[in-house]
Amino acid sequence: MEERLYDLIFIARPATPEDEIRKVITSIEHACTEKGAKIEKAEHWGTRKLAYRVAKHREGMYYYHQIRTAQGELIVELERRLHVQDSVIKYLTIRLDEDIKRQKKLGDKREKRAARRPRRPAATPPAPVPAAPAPEPQAAAS
Amino acid sequence: MAEEQKQGQAAPTEAPRAEGGAPAPTGAPSHGGHSGQGGHGGPGGHSGPRREGGREGGPRREGGPGGGPGGPRRGKRQYFRKKKVCKFCVEKIDLIDYKRADILSQFVQERGKILPRRMTGVCARHQRWLGVAIKRARNIALLPFAGSAAGATAPRAVEAHKS
Repeated sequence: MEERLYDLIFIARPATPEDEIRKVITSIEHACTEKGAKIEKAEHWGTRKLAYRVAKHREGMYYYHQIRTAQGELIVELERRLHVQDSVIKYLTIRLDEDIKRQKKLGDKREKRAARRPRRPAATPPAPVPAAPAPEPQAAAS
Repeated sequence: MAEEQKQGQAAPTEAPRAEGGAPAPTGAPSHGGHSGQGGHGGPGGHSGPRREGGREGGPRREGGPGGGPGGPRRGKRQYFRKKKVCKFCVEKIDLIDYKRADILSQFVQERGKILPRRMTGVCARHQRWLGVAIKRARNIALLPFAGSAAGATAPRAVEAHKS
């Protein structure tokens, strides 16, 4: 079974103590290792303003993980775990591998196209129009 | 007489070409009014009535046709619009990241509505991806859902006033 890449973001309450957050994160890590998944990235984005009120909070602490796994049940399990945590007010998992595959394909295509047509000769800019000798007729008239 | 006429007609035909290269003859500002009179009549039409002032009018005429071509040009500029290009195509972005709220917020209104393509100039393909990215960002409170910004902030302010 091919592996899939997921983004997992959760938002914790702004005033959550550090050890509680630790608990949530270790719980995620534990679930991942159990299912043989790999955490590729783990970031803490800090406290950010929320775009709308979530559970009566206007700010939240964002935590971001990128997980590679072959088992979809893991995501269900992770979401269940985040759901029961009181300190987590919002979470989101998104499958990324298809988008990245598409990105790669497009990038390859662009490279191939660039290789086929190395460079087009740059069009020469039109020569500036020479100033017509306007004063001459005046001189003749006067 | 005939010579003067010829010269008079010759001057305007040359002037537009000169105008491109040397736009400002020394006497141009003082003849602004004349250009307004003669501009609509056409460059060649004003040789008759101003015969007497012909000699003085040499520089004047130069000012006149110079203003003449300016008219239609101004008109063209009225319809001229800066061509919009897709920002994502220019920067060769194949994946619009829903996590980059700073980029996505350029393509939504203040209240969170997705801006139409005709306003932002984004190409069809990227607009499709952009829509998906914005909707993902909304789900994780990076961007507001349409209208929710007002709903969340405005009532609060009113309550604060009352209390």
